[in-house]
Amino acid sequence: MLNGLQDLGAAYLSFMEPMTLLYGLGGAFVGLIMGILPGLSATLAIALLTTVTINLQGNEAILVLICSYVGALYGGSRTAILLNIPGTAANAASCADGFALAQQGQAGRAIGIATSGAVTSTLFGVIFLATLTPLLSDIALQFGAFEFFWLALFGVTLSGSIVGGDPLKGWMMGLLGLFLAQVGEESLYAYDRFTFGWEELAGGIALIPALVGAFGLAEVLMALSDPVERKIHDLTDSVLPRWRDLFQYRWTVMRSGLIGVFTGLLPGVGEDAGSWVSYAAAKAVSKEKEKFGKGSIDGLMAAETGDMSSVPGHLIPVLSLGVPGSAPSAVLMAAMIIHGVQPGPMLMIEHPDFIYHVVAMTTLASIAILLFGLFGVRPMLQVLKVPRNILMPIVFLLCVVGSFAVASRLFDVYVMVAIGVGAYFLRRRGYEMAPLVLGLVLGPLLDKSLRRGLVLSDGSLIPFFTRPIALVLATITIFTFLLYVPAVRAAIGRLAALAGRNLHRLLGKGGA
Amino acid sequence: MDLPQPDLAKPRDAGPPPDEASSPRADLHDALGWMVLGLAIVIASWKMSRLEDQHINPLTIPGLVPGLLGAGMIIIGAILGLRSWERHRRESAHTAPTTDDTARLRRKRVLLTIILCCGYSIVLIGHGLPFWLASSIYVTGSILALDRLHLAPDLHPFSLRSLSHALLVGVGSSIVVWLVFERLFLVRLP
Repeated sequence: MLNGLQDLGAAYLSFMEPMTLLYGLGGAFVGLIMGILPGLSATLAIALLTTVTINLQGNEAILVLICSYVGALYGGSRTAILLNIPGTAANAASCADGFALAQQGQAGRAIGIATSGAVTSTLFGVIFLATLTPLLSDIALQFGAFEFFWLALFGVTLSGSIVGGDPLKGWMMGLLGLFLAQVGEESLYAYDRFTFGWEELAGGIALIPALVGAFGLAEVLMALSDPVERKIHDLTDSVLPRWRDLFQYRWTVMRSGLIGVFTGLLPGVGEDAGSWVSYAAAKAVSKEKEKFGKGSIDGLMAAETGDMSSVPGHLIPVLSLGVPGSAPSAVLMAAMIIHGVQPGPMLMIEHPDFIYHVVAMTTLASIAILLFGLFGVRPMLQVLKVPRNILMPIVFLLCVVGSFAVASRLFDVYVMVAIGVGAYFLRRRGYEMAPLVLGLVLGPLLDKSLRRGLVLSDGSLIPFFTRPIALVLATITIFTFLLYVPAVRAAIGRLAALAGRNLHRLLGKGGA
Repeated sequence: MDLPQPDLAKPRDAGPPPDEASSPRADLHDALGWMVLGLAIVIASWKMSRLEDQHINPLTIPGLVPGLLGAGMIIIGAILGLRSWERHRRESAHTAPTTDDTARLRRKRVLLTIILCCGYSIVLIGHGLPFWLASSIYVTGSILALDRLHLAPDLHPFSLRSLSHALLVGVGSSIVVWLVFERLFLVRLP
């Protein structure tokens, strides 16, 4: 305990250098701008900044990336409030009440609420990041091939089920991502799979170019295909954080903060889940349900705190299990590996101080967004006035640079273009990219764990279902699939209704 | 088989709506495509070397996981196909693809953007032309070309002013990117 606090203190002190703080502010600034621009996501911000920071020291580079992650999610709320378009997927729940407030001439107040909620909930999440990560790392040390196989499959399945509106299409994207991850030299015998004699494919499909294509070029095509430019709402009132609102809705903040952290712990769920679940929970217990969707402060606060506290939540499984919870955290994990830190159960043993460094970085990120929230809202919104015909070609220019810079290979640029064009057409047909990304990241883990597990069990599938943690993960994964079968859904509905009636009867009798 | 599809009410997205997504016909075509891809993966995995000369455990052959993934694609593709077929039968009125001016313009803009992006990344860069010059040509050309494909092209007439504005943005942004990446952060550029 004392050692942990000592490490945490040392981590905070290690970032108290002017240049390091400047890097953090720079990362948050770039993230904010990317978040403000509709469609440009936290994933793209982190992927592009990974290439810019490739020659920086590991801790400085990761600081920039975490600040951009937090900044992008925070910046996305502006677009949700002023344009009714979520800047990032995580801000979708903020649109209804944020935009309604803007229409009532309270856009500044809505932005102020978003700032206070974002800062508080990120700091709230940081507490869990510092306390839960070492605990989960201890548990993760008991994980073997069987558990990791289910964890990888669980992440992709859950992501496919939750992201977007159609689980079938989500799972298909997850399968495609898992398959793409099999391209190249496999890990057990160094055998080339699906390379068709191309030397460049032997190393597999690199994650950063694939992500830049799926989230960058696809978004450039999405944005440029729309011939209509959208106008933003004017800001007439003050945008300063509303601490009084924060105090008034403190229970919403606490509840949404907890929901955000715990949805963040689930692999593959994404930041938007934290936001939507918090919003639904706030509505369920609110005394002013009718105001939700029409400019409810409670609703906006819940949505903003839910998505922001899920950032530290997502970092917990990345650090302790090496399994990302969302697309941005998947890129962040890839960046950590590039900088010589292998996230996973061994991290607490090999680099015990790194977890506390990440805690300090996330704290700095929340302070950075507070500074921008206090002093930089209005100037930064000017970026929304730049026409897309000018902005998007420059974004593609950055996509090319970003995909080239990691390995200095033109082949990666071609991969980015191919995946980007493919992703555009898939997105137009309702296929989401987040499960594909998780599949790409978790594919090697799934492959290695399944084959190792089969060797350990001498071909028997029984240990995949009998070890306690594997059994829990297997049950949830299979249940997630079964939920899609109408007969099972109906049976669950009937069971739930029956249980509800029995409980009601029991309580009724108890009360009498 | 009646397979439900959750319909989450969501705010509008950054780009145009995924208009093809709701079409059962498009889903049916997708399903066939996925099944063909899955089958191709299964066949390729089956034919993949089993490394018998290395006497490896037969349960760890390289084609095992890709083969299972291919089989998964066939199964999910088949369910998608069945669902879309069911929906297609239920929907009596055939929805014709949108052919209004906006949709036509949207398709033209997408095609133009793909051509410009491919031209830049495949032809212009990496073949001897300095990065800043290749990027200036691409950005300037894109701004000028996309301004022509507009719902009200008269609002963006081609003039010396628009040309100089596009050129300024193109050259300026390319030089800034070159300076920041290559000079400031020492990142190699194509």
